[in-house]
Amino acid sequence: MNALRLGSYTFSSRLILGTGKFSSVPAMIEAVRASKAQLVTVALRRFNREQAEDDLFGPLSEIEGLTLMPNTSGAATAKEAVKAAHISRELSGSPFIKVEIHPNPHHLMPDPIETWEACKILAAEGFIVMPYIPADPVLAKRLEEVGCSSVMPLGSAIGSGQGLSTSAMVQLIIRESSIPVIVDAGLRSPSEACAAMEMGCAAVLVNSAIAVARDPAAMASAFAKAVEAGYDARNAGLMPRSGSAVATSPLTSFLGASS
Amino acid sequence: MSTIHITLNGQKRELPSGSSVADLLKLESADSLKVAVVVNEQIVRPDDRASHLLQKSDQVEILVFAGGG
Repeated sequence: MNALRLGSYTFSSRLILGTGKFSSVPAMIEAVRASKAQLVTVALRRFNREQAEDDLFGPLSEIEGLTLMPNTSGAATAKEAVKAAHISRELSGSPFIKVEIHPNPHHLMPDPIETWEACKILAAEGFIVMPYIPADPVLAKRLEEVGCSSVMPLGSAIGSGQGLSTSAMVQLIIRESSIPVIVDAGLRSPSEACAAMEMGCAAVLVNSAIAVARDPAAMASAFAKAVEAGYDARNAGLMPRSGSAVATSPLTSFLGASS
Repeated sequence: MSTIHITLNGQKRELPSGSSVADLLKLESADSLKVAVVVNEQIVRPDDRASHLLQKSDQVEILVFAGGG
């Protein structure tokens, strides 16, 4: 696979992994290794001495070649997201920030206005800005214009497993974008990740589908293969669709029928 | 020994007067972890934690990375 370029960074893996919802830290670490992901998301949380073992920085820093992409989850406004980004950069030492601003806990849909505002500020400050957005081609273009390094339209609602329900809009975003388009949220199965890559996505971000699988490491490996297959298929050139059958074998009769 | 009251991660806490951010991290058993510390909305970097003394009514946040998508 050719490298995925995000800012000044390059990655050979096009599967980005979320680290939430795993049953344990060891299960998460095993899945990260199996996924061969080089970019993983993490979230800021208040330290709790009773749950100090949940801190992920130590365990993740033992995986070689891994870059952290903190998210701004919990932020309901641009101001809160910018604050979270500053704290996260301090902690991670990474310039990556996943801007995620969803004020409504019932649907977790990203707020496009606050997202745009936060991205504009953070891109100007030198962050590699990766916004989680509704699948809106106009917003995607506006975010590209303010210096985002990618846009990450949702496939469907976070954690819903409803797959690529925004497929048509994501295709429009890909067609119009000069920056990598990454489907983030809603994917349930490796086949959906493969379809996103065949469509022309530069990468996919998967969390719940892997974290809640019966065997997260095996599912992570399955997603990795699907992403690679989809990417290769896209580059190989998919055949055009036809409204009618197009024979693959000669249709001339030769078994001695009439003539 | 005189004490001060601060707010740590949303909870009231009593500390000996003259406690630094580094002292607080030790008290919380957070000194061996990679944490971010924010005092009154300002990030306190690791190099400054021993010299940054906490004042009464300070709003302190200690943050770590947890799982998230």
